[in-house]
Amino acid sequence: MVFWILIALLTGAATLSVLVPLSRSRRGQEAAPARADEAVYREQLAAIDKELERGLIDTEAAEAARTEIARRLLAAHDRGDATKQGGPRTGRLKLAQGLALLALPVLAFGLYILLGSPGLPDQPLLSRLNAPAEEQSVDLLVARVERHLTENPEDGQGWAVIAPVYMSLGQPKASAKAYSNAIRILGPRQTWLTDMGEAQTIANQGLVTAEARAAFEQAVALEPSAVKPRFFLALALGQEGRKEEAIAAWQALLQGADENAAWVGAARQEMARLTGEVPGSDTLRGPSQEEVAAASEMAAEDRQAMISNMVAGLAERLSTEGGSAEEWNRLIRAYMVLGKKQDAEQALTAALSAYADKPEDLSMIKDAASKLGLSDG
Amino acid sequence: MIVEFGHYALVLAFALTLVQSVLPIWGALQKDDRLMAVAPPVSVMLFVLVLLSFMVLTGAYLSSDFSVLNVVENSHSAKPLLYKFTGVWGNHEGSMLLWVLILVFFGALVGIFGGNLPADLRAVTLSVQAWVSAGFILFLLATSNPFTRILNPPLEGADLNPILQDIGLAIHPPLLYVGYVGFSITFSFAVAALILGRIDAAWARWVRPWTLLAWCFLTLGIAMGSYWAYYELGWGGWWFWDPVENASFMPWLAGTALLHSAIVMEKREALKVWTVLLAIFTFSLSLLGTFLVRSGVLTSVHAFATDPARGVFILALLCVFIGGSLSLFAWRASMLKQGGLFAPISREGGLVLNNLFLTAACAAVFVGTLYPLVLDAVTGEKISVGAPFFNLTFGPLMVPLLMAIPFGPVLSWKRADLGAACQRLYAAFGLALLLTLVTYWAWGMEKVLAPLGVGLAVWVMAGAMSEIVTRVKFFEIGFKRGFSRLVGLPGSAWGTAIAHFGIGLTVLGIVTASAFQDERVLTMRPGDTVELAGYQMTFEGAAPRRGPNYTEEVGHFSIRRGGAVVAELDPSKRIYTARQMPTTEAGIYTTGFSQVYLSLGEGRGDGAVDVRVYYKPLITLIWIGCVIMSLGAVFSIADRRLRVGAPKPARKRQQSMAAAE
Repeated sequence: MVFWILIALLTGAATLSVLVPLSRSRRGQEAAPARADEAVYREQLAAIDKELERGLIDTEAAEAARTEIARRLLAAHDRGDATKQGGPRTGRLKLAQGLALLALPVLAFGLYILLGSPGLPDQPLLSRLNAPAEEQSVDLLVARVERHLTENPEDGQGWAVIAPVYMSLGQPKASAKAYSNAIRILGPRQTWLTDMGEAQTIANQGLVTAEARAAFEQAVALEPSAVKPRFFLALALGQEGRKEEAIAAWQALLQGADENAAWVGAARQEMARLTGEVPGSDTLRGPSQEEVAAASEMAAEDRQAMISNMVAGLAERLSTEGGSAEEWNRLIRAYMVLGKKQDAEQALTAALSAYADKPEDLSMIKDAASKLGLSDG
Repeated sequence: MIVEFGHYALVLAFALTLVQSVLPIWGALQKDDRLMAVAPPVSVMLFVLVLLSFMVLTGAYLSSDFSVLNVVENSHSAKPLLYKFTGVWGNHEGSMLLWVLILVFFGALVGIFGGNLPADLRAVTLSVQAWVSAGFILFLLATSNPFTRILNPPLEGADLNPILQDIGLAIHPPLLYVGYVGFSITFSFAVAALILGRIDAAWARWVRPWTLLAWCFLTLGIAMGSYWAYYELGWGGWWFWDPVENASFMPWLAGTALLHSAIVMEKREALKVWTVLLAIFTFSLSLLGTFLVRSGVLTSVHAFATDPARGVFILALLCVFIGGSLSLFAWRASMLKQGGLFAPISREGGLVLNNLFLTAACAAVFVGTLYPLVLDAVTGEKISVGAPFFNLTFGPLMVPLLMAIPFGPVLSWKRADLGAACQRLYAAFGLALLLTLVTYWAWGMEKVLAPLGVGLAVWVMAGAMSEIVTRVKFFEIGFKRGFSRLVGLPGSAWGTAIAHFGIGLTVLGIVTASAFQDERVLTMRPGDTVELAGYQMTFEGAAPRRGPNYTEEVGHFSIRRGGAVVAELDPSKRIYTARQMPTTEAGIYTTGFSQVYLSLGEGRGDGAVDVRVYYKPLITLIWIGCVIMSLGAVFSIADRRLRVGAPKPARKRQQSMAAAE
C-alpha cells in the first residue's frame, strides 16, 4: 500500500511540474527573447570599449567592429518588435493540461505494470541473512554461517556446526575441511576426528586414504572403545589387502556388539567377503569393480596414490604370506609402470628365490622379467 | 519495494520526456508562452526522476540485493564498498542509466541556468534534449532494463569484471560521460537553432559555456582513461589507438574544432553553417562511439553488451538523430545569411586553419577506426589498423596545427599583419630554438626528430605565455600596473592561454616519454638487480597475498639511486576468484614528472619472474597537460562576461546607476 501511495505521489509531482507553469500567466516575459540577444550585443559593444581602452585594438578596428555589432543589435531589435504576436489560446492549453493529467499517469502506470514486478519486495542480502532461521532455506543458513566464518575464521564451534551440514548437503570435502578447522582451533575430539575421516573417505569414493586413516587412528587413541573409527580402520585393512589383520579387526569389533546396530550388517558382509576367499586359490584378487570405478573417477594424482597403495599392499602380502608366480609378475610389472625400477628388481630377486625349486614358474617369471627389460642378474 | 519505486521513477521519466518532447516546441512554434514555460520545471523534474532511479539502483548494489538481475550479474557481496558503488556503472545497463542521467542533468542545467536565453530557444532546446532522452530511456526499458527482477534470488553474484575493480572506474566513466553526453546539449541547441531559424552571433555566445563544460569533462575523462589503461594493462603504453579510445577521441577533436569555430561565429557571425554542422557532428560522433561500444561490433574491456538487439536499437537511434538533424540542416542551411567577411590572414583565418586540421585529423581517426569494421562487414576480411597508420596520418596533421597555435591569439580580427604577429612571438620562438639545441646537445644526433618535438612543445607553451605577457604589456608599463592588468584580463583570455599551455605540456610529455624512454624486459630471480636510467632495481622476492575478492602474487622491488633506497614497489598479478580472471597491477614510482614503471610477467616457478621495467621521462606531463587544458576551460566558463546578458538585472542596475548620478 505504501508503495502505491509513493507512486501516486511521484506521479502527482510530475504532473504538477507540467500543470503549474501552464496555469501561470507569463505576460511579464513576453518580450524576453528579443531582449536576450540585444543584451548579448550590448555586452559585445561594451567589450570593444574595454579592449580599446586597454590598447588591444586600434580605433579604426574598434569603429568597424562597433558598426558591425550595432547592425546586429538593430536587427535583433526589429525582430523583437516583430515577434509580439500569437499568445495563449484556451484550446491549446486544455489539450496540454489533458496531456499532463491523463496521458502522463496512464502511460507511466500502464508501462510500469507491463515492465515491473510491483509485488516483489526488496531482498538485500543482509536482511535475507538476518531473517528468522525458520524462514530460511538451508542454502541461506549455510551462507549465513559461511559469512560469519569468513569474518571470524577462528570460531571453532562455528566450523563444528557447519561440518555435518556440509556432509548432509553432499559436500564431503568442505565438511572435512570444516572439521579440520574445528580440530585445529578447539583441539582433537574423537567424534570430530572420526567424522572428518569419514568425510575424507566419502570424498575419495569410499577409499580410506592415509590421511583419513591417521584421523581414525588418532580417534581410537583418544577413545579406544569407539566403534566408528575402528569400523573404518578395519575397512582400511581390508582395502590394503591385509586380510588376516582385517578379519581380526572385524572380529574384535563384532565381539559383544549390539546385533541391531546399523553397522553390524555391513561389518559382517565385509568379513564374509574377506573370509570367503580361500587363500591360494586360482582367482586372483584384483581391485573390486567399485574400486576401479572409483579410480577412474579420481583425479590423476589420487589415482596414482590409490595404485601405489594397492601395490604396497600386494608387496607386503607377497613378502609375508607368499603368493603365486602370477602375483609376483603382477607386482614386478606394477613397479615398472610406476617407474620404480629398483623395487622391481628387488621383487624379481625375491620371486626368483621364492620359486627357486619350481623350474616351470621360475622360467615364467624370468620370461616376464626379460619382456619388461629386467635382467634376472 | 524501493527497487520497484526506482523502476517506476524511470518509467515515469520516460512518459514525462514524451510530454517535454511535445509541449515546449509546440509552444515555441505557436508563440505560446505558457507552453514554453513548461520546459524548465519539467527538465528539473526529469533530472529528479532519473536521479531517483539511479540512487535506487545504487542502493540495490550497496545492499547486494540479488533479486535484481543486474546486481547478480555484476556484483558480489564480498566486493569492497567502493566497487559496489562504482559497479553500478561498470556494466551495460547501469552505464546506460548514467548516460541518461547525464542527458537529463544537462537538460536541467539549461532549465535552471538558462535564464539569459530567449524563451523559445530554451524551450526548443529542452524539447530536443527530451527527444534524445526519450530515445535512450526507451532503449533502456526495452532492451537493457537495469531493474529486471528475479523471483528466486541467488546467494552470490557473478562479481564485477576485475579490470574494472579499480579506483579508475570511480572517476573515468563519470567524467567521460559528462563530456561525451554533454555535447548532447550543443546538439540540441544546434537543432533548436535550425528549427527556429535563429542562427546568429548571440546563439554562439549562448552555446559557448555548454560546449566548454562538455569539452572540459571530456578532456579529463579521456586523460583519466589513458592513465588508467597505463597502470592497469601493464604494457606501459598510455594510448593504444584502440577503437574505443578513438570513439571518445573523435568527439573531442570535433568538439575542439567546434569550440574554436564558435568563437568566430560569436565575434563575426561568420562560419555559421559550419559551426552548426560541427555541433551536430560532435554529438553524432558521441552516438557513434556508443553504438560501436554497445552493439558488440567491437570486443574490448568496454564492450559490456554483445546483444544484437541492443546494437540494432542503437543503430536505429543513431540513424534517427543523425539522419534527422542532417536533413534538417540541409533544409535550413540555405536560409543562412553569409556573415562577416575576413582576409585569409586574420584571427578568423587562423581559426579556420585550426578547424581544417582538427576535422582532417578527426577524419583520419574516423577512417582508421571504421575502415576495418566496414571491411570486415562487407568482405569478411579482417585487418587491423594500428598505431603506424595513426602515426602517419594523425601525427603529420598535428604538427602544422601545433606550429600555428601561438599565432591564433595574436592575430587580429578581420585582417591581420603577419609580420607584427611574428614580432610578438620572437621571444617564444627563441626559447623554443634554444631548448631544441640544448636537447640536441644533451642527446646528440641519435634521435633526430625528438629535439624538434621538444622545440615544438616549448614553442606552443612559450607562445601561450607570451600572448598573456604582450596583452599585459609588462615591459612597457612596469610590473605594478602590469600586474593589475594581468588580474583584470578577461577569463576567456586566460582560458585560451592556459589551455594552449596545457597542449604544449602534453606534447612535451608525449615526445619525451616516447623518444627518451628506457625499457628492459628480463627474467629476475630474488636478489637480482637491474640498472636503468640511473636507478638500481632489486627484486627482493615474490609472495602471495589475499585481497577481499582476489588473491595475488606480489613482487617486492626496492629502487635505489646512488645507493640509497628511494622507493619500494609492489607490482602484482591478481586472480579474481569469482571469475578466475587475471589482472596486472603495475608498480609506479613517480620522481618529478618522470616515472619508473615496473610490471610483473609470468612466474618461472623457481622464484624467478619475468619483469618489464621502464623509465619514462616526463610522462606525467601528458596527463598534467590535459588537466591544465581543462583548467583553461574552467577559466573560460568563469568569464564574467558569459554570465551577464540576463536582461532584467542588467536594466535594473542601469536604472539604479542613473538614479545615483
